[in-house]
Amino acid sequence: MNEMTHGVQDGLSEDGTVRRRVVSVWLPSFATDLCVRRWKAQPTPSPCGPRTPTDFTRAPLVSVAEENGHALLAAVNRAAEVAGLQPGLPLADARALVPDLRTAPADPEGERRALGRLTRWCDRYTPWTAVDPDSFGAGAGGLWLEVTGAAHLFGGEAGLLADLNARLAALGYAHRLGVGDTPGAAWAVARFQPPLHASIAVIPPDGAKAALEPLSVAALRLAPKTTEGLFRLGLRRIGQLERRPRGPLAARFGGALLDRLDQAFGRRAETIEPGRSPPDHQARIAFAEPVTHRSGIEAALERLIGTLCGQLATARVGARRVRLSGYRVDGGVAEITVGTGRAVREAAHLRRLFEQKLDHFDPGFGIDALVLAATVADPLAPAQTSLSSDGTAEALAFLIDRLGNRLGPDRVHRLAPAPRHPPEHAQGRISAAETAPAPANEEADGPVSPRPLQLLATPEPIEAVAPVPDRPPVMFTWRRRRHRVASADGPERIAPEWWLEDPAALFSGQVRLRDYYRVEDTEGRRFWLFRAGLYRPDRAPKWYMHGFFA
Amino acid sequence: MSAYAELCAASNFSFLKGASHPEELAVTAAALGLDAIAVTDTNSVTGLVRAHTAAKQAGIRLVVGCRLELTDGPDLLTYPRDRAAYGRLTRLLTLGKRRAPKGECYMTLTDVIGSGHGLVIAAVAPRRYDPAFEGALQKLSQHFNDDLYLAVSYDYSGGNEARLNSLAALAGKHRITLLACNDVRYHSAERRPLLDVLTCIREGCTVHQAGRRLAANAERHLKSAAEMARLFAAMPDALAHGLEIVGKCRFNLDELRYDYPVDPVPKGSTPQAELVRLAWEGAKARYPDGIPDKVSAQVAHELDLIEELGFAPYFLTVHDIVRFAEERGILCQGRGSAANSAVCYCLRITAVDPARIDLLFERFVSAERGEPPDIDVDFENGRREEVIQYIYGKYGRERAGMTATVITYRAKSAIRETGKALGVTEDVILALQGAAWRRSWEDITDDHIREAGLDPREPAIRRLLALAGVLRGFPRHLSQHTGGMVMTKGRLDEMVPIANAAMDGRTVIEWDKDDLDALGILKVDILALGMLTCVQKAFGLLSRHHGRDVTLATIPAEDPAVYDMLCQGDSVGVFQVESRAQMSMLPRLKPRDFYDLVIEVAIVRPGPIQGDMVHPYLRRRDGKEAVDFPSKALEQVLGKTLGIPLFQEQAMKIAIVAAGFSPQEADALRRALATFRRFGDIHKFRERFIAGMLGNGYELDFSERCFKQIEGFADYGFPESHAASFALLVYVSAWLKRHYPAAFTCALLNSMPMGFYGPAQLVRDARDHGVEVRPVDINQSGWDCTLEPGLVPDAPAFRLGFRQVKGLKQADMERLAEARANGPFQGAHELQKRTGLSKAVLEKLARGDAFAGLGLTRRTALWAIRGLDDAPPPLFAAAGLDHRGLEPRVALPEMALGEQVADDYRALSLSLKSHPLALLRRDLELRGGVPCRDLMHLRQGADVRLAGLVTTRQRPGSAKGVVFVTLEDETAHANLIVWPDVFERFRRPVLGAQLLEVAGEVQKEGRVIHVVCKRLWDLTPWLRRLDAPETAPVTIRSRNFQ
Repeated sequence: MNEMTHGVQDGLSEDGTVRRRVVSVWLPSFATDLCVRRWKAQPTPSPCGPRTPTDFTRAPLVSVAEENGHALLAAVNRAAEVAGLQPGLPLADARALVPDLRTAPADPEGERRALGRLTRWCDRYTPWTAVDPDSFGAGAGGLWLEVTGAAHLFGGEAGLLADLNARLAALGYAHRLGVGDTPGAAWAVARFQPPLHASIAVIPPDGAKAALEPLSVAALRLAPKTTEGLFRLGLRRIGQLERRPRGPLAARFGGALLDRLDQAFGRRAETIEPGRSPPDHQARIAFAEPVTHRSGIEAALERLIGTLCGQLATARVGARRVRLSGYRVDGGVAEITVGTGRAVREAAHLRRLFEQKLDHFDPGFGIDALVLAATVADPLAPAQTSLSSDGTAEALAFLIDRLGNRLGPDRVHRLAPAPRHPPEHAQGRISAAETAPAPANEEADGPVSPRPLQLLATPEPIEAVAPVPDRPPVMFTWRRRRHRVASADGPERIAPEWWLEDPAALFSGQVRLRDYYRVEDTEGRRFWLFRAGLYRPDRAPKWYMHGFFA
Repeated sequence: MSAYAELCAASNFSFLKGASHPEELAVTAAALGLDAIAVTDTNSVTGLVRAHTAAKQAGIRLVVGCRLELTDGPDLLTYPRDRAAYGRLTRLLTLGKRRAPKGECYMTLTDVIGSGHGLVIAAVAPRRYDPAFEGALQKLSQHFNDDLYLAVSYDYSGGNEARLNSLAALAGKHRITLLACNDVRYHSAERRPLLDVLTCIREGCTVHQAGRRLAANAERHLKSAAEMARLFAAMPDALAHGLEIVGKCRFNLDELRYDYPVDPVPKGSTPQAELVRLAWEGAKARYPDGIPDKVSAQVAHELDLIEELGFAPYFLTVHDIVRFAEERGILCQGRGSAANSAVCYCLRITAVDPARIDLLFERFVSAERGEPPDIDVDFENGRREEVIQYIYGKYGRERAGMTATVITYRAKSAIRETGKALGVTEDVILALQGAAWRRSWEDITDDHIREAGLDPREPAIRRLLALAGVLRGFPRHLSQHTGGMVMTKGRLDEMVPIANAAMDGRTVIEWDKDDLDALGILKVDILALGMLTCVQKAFGLLSRHHGRDVTLATIPAEDPAVYDMLCQGDSVGVFQVESRAQMSMLPRLKPRDFYDLVIEVAIVRPGPIQGDMVHPYLRRRDGKEAVDFPSKALEQVLGKTLGIPLFQEQAMKIAIVAAGFSPQEADALRRALATFRRFGDIHKFRERFIAGMLGNGYELDFSERCFKQIEGFADYGFPESHAASFALLVYVSAWLKRHYPAAFTCALLNSMPMGFYGPAQLVRDARDHGVEVRPVDINQSGWDCTLEPGLVPDAPAFRLGFRQVKGLKQADMERLAEARANGPFQGAHELQKRTGLSKAVLEKLARGDAFAGLGLTRRTALWAIRGLDDAPPPLFAAAGLDHRGLEPRVALPEMALGEQVADDYRALSLSLKSHPLALLRRDLELRGGVPCRDLMHLRQGADVRLAGLVTTRQRPGSAKGVVFVTLEDETAHANLIVWPDVFERFRRPVLGAQLLEVAGEVQKEGRVIHVVCKRLWDLTPWLRRLDAPETAPVTIRSRNFQ
């Protein structure tokens, strides 16, 4: 067992004294930097995106959110800020200032997710990473890294910061790193310690007083109202607060102000909760010696699965998604996740799913802890022996899961009706892992006229004789056989889906439509025929066979 | 030879269910040679008037009809047989709309049966057999017998024959006749994509997701009689029945004879006699020393004309509204074509003395146009609702209603909605909206689209633009007109449906202003005007503090001191002429009498500016150019304005006198230009106009300018009659400013928001005029600003009210004033105890520096307030020690003057302590800047550098991209001109700066001084120098582009 299991307060430095160190990462233009990253990744350029390489960094870029029908700036990049734009400004006003403004739709959910990913990415330095909730919003983002006792892996704190700095820059995120003995101090210097163009601000151990006292009280992570109130009273620097009696301050600004002050100076404890909220159901094994071999991992996994399934059964749920995380000695995380089409808590099934994937589980220089967690779970009643069911439904579901996990869930399909008019497109493929849609209400949603049982993949040209302009045929020849029509119904007129057609023909109204007829020949066979296009006196109509009713 | 009438056609007033304008349906039906068409919108008759007008022009019969969508039954097409049945239909719709929220209509089958007498009804057959439908049919057949039809259509959905046969059987079973129609949704098949887009907007999905919610084909268009005969070859009767309905339903919208409401007139009297009595009675009151001959002749003449045209009830209606307002002490004034008559003066509808201005009554009440006279009445903006509610109360909801306004899709919304329906991504929509931003649709070129980063050849973009282009101008929903009210003698709800408005207590009819015009229905605009509120408040102050009672009509006329002031361009706060453009016009025009003010009001408008009439007029006025008239005929029209057309009436008159238009044609021209150039052929009018003028011997240049001016008037029509009413308020407010500046400023601030300037400028202007302004004070101020005895007798001082402090509420401050009646407050703690006001409120007071009178600085007051208990102590709690009395004393940093000024601006938007620029003066001087006051002493063409707070920014449409900026420093104002090329280079400072520095060239014309900008700098960050750098930035609000 190593010290990573619990507690972060007890990191020991080389000289044996307790020395906590925390990094605060500030990403002032996270949202817009993210847009640029996405654009770079896109094969086809976005219309609002950059047009030249320098656009990536130089052009004013904003993200836009709609609020009550008004488009407002949600986030601005540095260039946009320099041009006088600020979050909250109406887009129209922004365009007045910067006519060729680059815009991207705001995506707070996507930003949150991306920030979460970035946090996990920071696991490479220390497993104790978290999103800093006080920094999210207006396009900015922030992270915490508890680097107590982790820096030696990178040649000390300076090495870790240099590495983080370089990697964030390479990822394209504008950032500033602050380091201090407490989260509060690190946060403060990351944002407020001059010179502001330097991307790393370090408070030496025990240097909080000198570093923090000249800074603005805004560096204390206070509610905007509190900061504003302090400003109004002329108490603008942290040092001014430190020199005022605490009682009256608390009476006016609440205990939170003193808490923040004490947190910054380390007089009050503050821990960093790891970012991903721990799943409800998980099992954990820590190894005394790092494990590198697959056999060792498999054996541990077997035990973890057993424990987890037991937990699931007790909670009467089944797993939909299960994640195996291996904490590597090099600070990285190896992860594999399996998904299931239905809630599962059968050990054998889970084991089969993981077996297929263990090849991708890279233990690196060794793993000292394994965690198996059910990250998504659905209610699942206790298993009951069914009288009627022979278990085929379950077996099919297991098969689909196995195929999906091996081939990729998007590669296993089933057919489902699609509500589209052109007969060729009236069914579509859906992922097999999805539950089959409820049978469509044909009466309400289906076509008015019946559809044939069998549809030709490609309509076959036929010869037909029919009264003009759109009466059903009286006779037709298909595959060199002549059929006389005994009775017929039609036409059912189906026009093409104009949004897939050439826009030049957008307003031409009647292009390429088809008139479908149900006909029964004298021998009682029933066909589905169509004439392509409207009847035109100057052109012989083209007829096709498209399907059969019986 | 087949014949056919399409009796089921939805226009785009069946919101999101029809894809053609009513006009398109009527015109296409006529072109197809149909016998008649019915535009049957869902639960609405809004599109009917447009269809009616277009059908009349195209020469096709319009059958009046409506498609009723019921909550409990099938859709019913209804056609009133006669006027009475139409009235029952609109009452039915009113019933359905009044019981539903705005935009909805809840009607049941029982409602229809109850009020359906005289209606011909066709039930729309459902797509599939439905037993409920048969039940409804049975119920209907018992009541409507021969007037019930079953509407069937051939929709090419397959199995049509069988479906029609079974419907025929159903009809036969209940002895109902079949009606063939095509359930039309668009005039031509090419609109199918647009209807699909509309369906998607309605369903909130994309075309890719819509599936079978979209129609399979494009067959719901208007079809010819021959085509319909072919489709219904098996049942020719069904076609004939349509013509039968056309024969039964002869009702025509022209039958909607409009009757003015008649006030109860004394027994034995008539409206005319009553009007004559009131007019002469009023005349005597207006002229207590005897009616001047000229006026009495004019009154007599006007009364004759009113009698001839039968307008007496109309004048009585307006008189009644004005009388009500007067009784309630609500200041109001009429304007509009008929308002500036001698009769209206006598009836107290206006206060413009006919003896002071010479307006021809005939010009406004034209017998030829057959249109009702037009009187708009402005009321104090805070009290207009009382008047509206009086009208509702007097006439009842069934006889009075607000006019509707049709809200249409604009380029931006059309792109957004179409884009969403097509499943185009948000970024593409944003980019396209960017390309369309500040451009007219027609001006969007492929290059603009490329600039926006899009490929104009890309199919998705082409589709989107093509469809959005058609959607633009489609009605989107109905809203209420700003003030137009319709009142009728009979029931209004038997003429047009009345619906609930979004606003409580308002009901709205379904027709807009153009529809009412087309049907000759009277509307009175009940408008709100902030200046009337201000004038009324000023009158009150004069009465209280100066012992002087005046009214609009009794203010001393033609006071030279007032004109002297205006000639100086000293007009901050004065109605209409306080804008920067007006301010620089005043010294050029040099108004010396009332009619000059009329011209002053009208001349700084898009019409005269676009028509390039301003400079010729000024030259003639200055005697630099001979006053001559292009012709004898035009001398009459243009005599009063030195041969230059300045008013809308004159432009119209030129079309008649010089270009040979008939009055109707001239009016049609104005309309064609006004209604978005939608269906009008402007160029044809233009050719006719120019040719007409050339034919009558006018010069080409003059003719073209006249036409340009008409174009300018079309959007912002400003007639002489309106100008005259406004000019009176100009005079009144200028008189108040000249003689009672403290009362005037006080009234202005108490009427905020209004006018062109913010409180800071108004207060500053008052101080410049010698008014003593005192700060907000917890022991002196009221909610409103007030007057107090000043240092000088007869010159009251002006005390800022609590309303000036950001975030305070009137009710709270009234509570404070009430508590103060028991003696002044001594401190924050005591204030809280006596008023029970929350800490947040007290803090706002402290931020406004309202404790200064107690010797408490902002910070000490704030510190004390922050230390109070959250909940105010019980009022009668033991009056012990303040429990905070024992806490350690805390020293707070002192505020520098700069900080105080900055905080003043934050809390009050102004400062009485100093001007920010005064504090920055030394730094500005180091950069070579001079105070604005120095402009007066600089010569024309001199280079100058100055800086100031931006108070206004304007980019008038008529000025071709020139931006006008006004700066203010501690000494004076400076007017800047930014030419487009400079603007492009200095966009950021021009549009964004609060503190702007400029280097440019002095331009002088008489007393008017401008600085033509060459370079600009945004010095806004300097404002933070007043303050500590970390403080929230001071924002100085300017008035931008309004």
